[in-house]
Amino acid sequence: MTPAISIRHLSKVFPVPFRRERVVAVEDLSLEVAPGQVYGLLGPNGSGKSTTMKMVLGLVPPTRGQVEVFGVDADRVESRVAVGFLPENPYFQKFLTGTETVAFFGRLAGVPKRDLRDRARELLRLVGLEEAADRRLSGYSKGMLQRIGLAQALVQEPRLLVLDEPTAGVDPAGSRDIKDLILKFKDRGITVLLCSHLLAQVQEICDRIGILHRGRLVCEGPLAELIEKRAQTELVLENAPAGLLAEIEAAVGRHEGARLLHRRHPQASLEEFFLTVTGDEKKP
Amino acid sequence: MSTAAPLPAHRLFSPARVGAIARNTLTELTRQKVFYLLLLFGLLLIGSSVLLVRFSFQDQFQMLKDISLGAMSIFGSLLAILATAAMLPRDIEERTLYTILAKPVPRVEYVLGKFLGIAGMLACALFLMGLLFLLILFVRERGVEAEMAASLSGDAAALAAQIETLRAQVFHPNLLAAGLTIFAKTCVLAALTLFVSTFATSQIFTVFIVTTAYFIGHFQATAREYWQAMGGAAWSKAFAGFVAILFPDLQIFNLVDEIAVGVAVPLALLGKTLVLGGFYVLIYLLAAQLVFAQKEL
Ligand SMILES: Nc1ncnc2c1ncn2[C@@H]1O[C@H](COP(=O)(O)OP(=O)(O)O)[C@@H](O)[C@H]1O
Ligand SMILES: [Mg+2]
Repeated sequence: MTPAISIRHLSKVFPVPFRRERVVAVEDLSLEVAPGQVYGLLGPNGSGKSTTMKMVLGLVPPTRGQVEVFGVDADRVESRVAVGFLPENPYFQKFLTGTETVAFFGRLAGVPKRDLRDRARELLRLVGLEEAADRRLSGYSKGMLQRIGLAQALVQEPRLLVLDEPTAGVDPAGSRDIKDLILKFKDRGITVLLCSHLLAQVQEICDRIGILHRGRLVCEGPLAELIEKRAQTELVLENAPAGLLAEIEAAVGRHEGARLLHRRHPQASLEEFFLTVTGDEKKP
Repeated sequence: MSTAAPLPAHRLFSPARVGAIARNTLTELTRQKVFYLLLLFGLLLIGSSVLLVRFSFQDQFQMLKDISLGAMSIFGSLLAILATAAMLPRDIEERTLYTILAKPVPRVEYVLGKFLGIAGMLACALFLMGLLFLLILFVRERGVEAEMAASLSGDAAALAAQIETLRAQVFHPNLLAAGLTIFAKTCVLAALTLFVSTFATSQIFTVFIVTTAYFIGHFQATAREYWQAMGGAAWSKAFAGFVAILFPDLQIFNLVDEIAVGVAVPLALLGKTLVLGGFYVLIYLLAAQLVFAQKEL
């Protein structure tokens, strides 16, 4: 099957104006994203994640190498027909309402005029902006802008979504909503390429990850395999009496080589804890 | 939404997308301070012509037309240059360009849509200024008619004939020709500004270059005549030709002077001027597209 994204020996060198030095943003990057996969691109600031995404979208021409999206070279306009993009810190025209913004991008993506309104409404409902649909974007919060960004990315029912830090600057509840949305897209069979600093979240949603460091791919593979500690096993028991625990410890002691590393009560993640305490109400 | 399905069809060029970008640009531009400010100044100047003019009724229409058409030309040009120079840098700065070009939108459609949006904005501004101008002209003309009626009491036929002549003189179709040439000129300036902004490193630089071009554009015809009178050497002719290609010959759009004087503009000359304007616009848009297609965003 044609990969959703195929990147081969991709490099990007930016010249620095009026100087002789150059910035190597991406260097000899090769990777493939299979259809239906959620692929996480990780890396510290300035490691080339955004630049890689821009090359996937044909916004920036590669210095060397090749990018194909569903088998079409990324420098061709057709490669973007079934692609939705959420840029880093998206910014939209303040004077438009939510519905108008989504409708505008729908028009650009070739959504028939008669379907525009309905599509915009439907997407705004999906991202939880129903009530704000007819308000101007000048009154939107950061998290709301991020959601409008998602809605416009989804407007032509794309097969591939490219999300550059979709949860940056969004509060935990909003961030969880966005995570749930991404999982929903995955269920619909949409391929997702995303980058994020929030490793806990990436861990929850990505099938496969690649780690970029200074423009180079230092590690790549299925997430579960990469972080599995094969030599260790976790047992989580509920309502175990002290006697049972003592028996288990004694049994472990009888086996050559086996060792109990620690014994503790599992902790909720701070995110889970925060969300329980602040309740479940949806943010507008 | 099966991933194995073939990609949906994509149109290489879509007027619908261009139209969407143009409409969006028009809305954006008409919400900007520079639009209101320059429009306001233009309207004020045209409006103040009422106060300035205190002459015999023959001269006053002359002055009214001079001032108003001058105001439309100057403020239209300023608007074309200033609003256009800010546009591309803003789209890049605010990254709206990314979201637009990440959709299947060819860059040529973006350039075209932006230009049409600016042209629409210029048409709006010139239309509003022109409307005020006509209104003032109309009120003044009625005033003069009343004066005529008062002084020429009795001879109804003579009065009717005089009023007839007056109306024909004041509301000459030349005014429409003047409006069209001013619009053409501002469009040429906007296209040139759009082109310069595709490679300029800053907005100030764009404005500087285009303003320079504006002055060269207005004076090159004069310079050419001067050289020819000097018995122009071959190299100076070549130089003049080179300048004419690089900078628009804006003097050709100054039918305004003739029109204000009341000379009839032949339809052929008007047509020729508009075609030439369209030609300049086309060249600059083509150049803009060539640079923009290669631009790193
Ligand atoms: N348009 C550009 N011109 C020059 N350098 C750039 C440009 N875009 C990105 N860079 C440089 O490329 C490197 C990678 O940037 P980026 O891809 O934005 O990183 P990330 O998204 O991983 O934080 C950085 O050093 C950045 O300064
Ligand atoms: Mg980034």
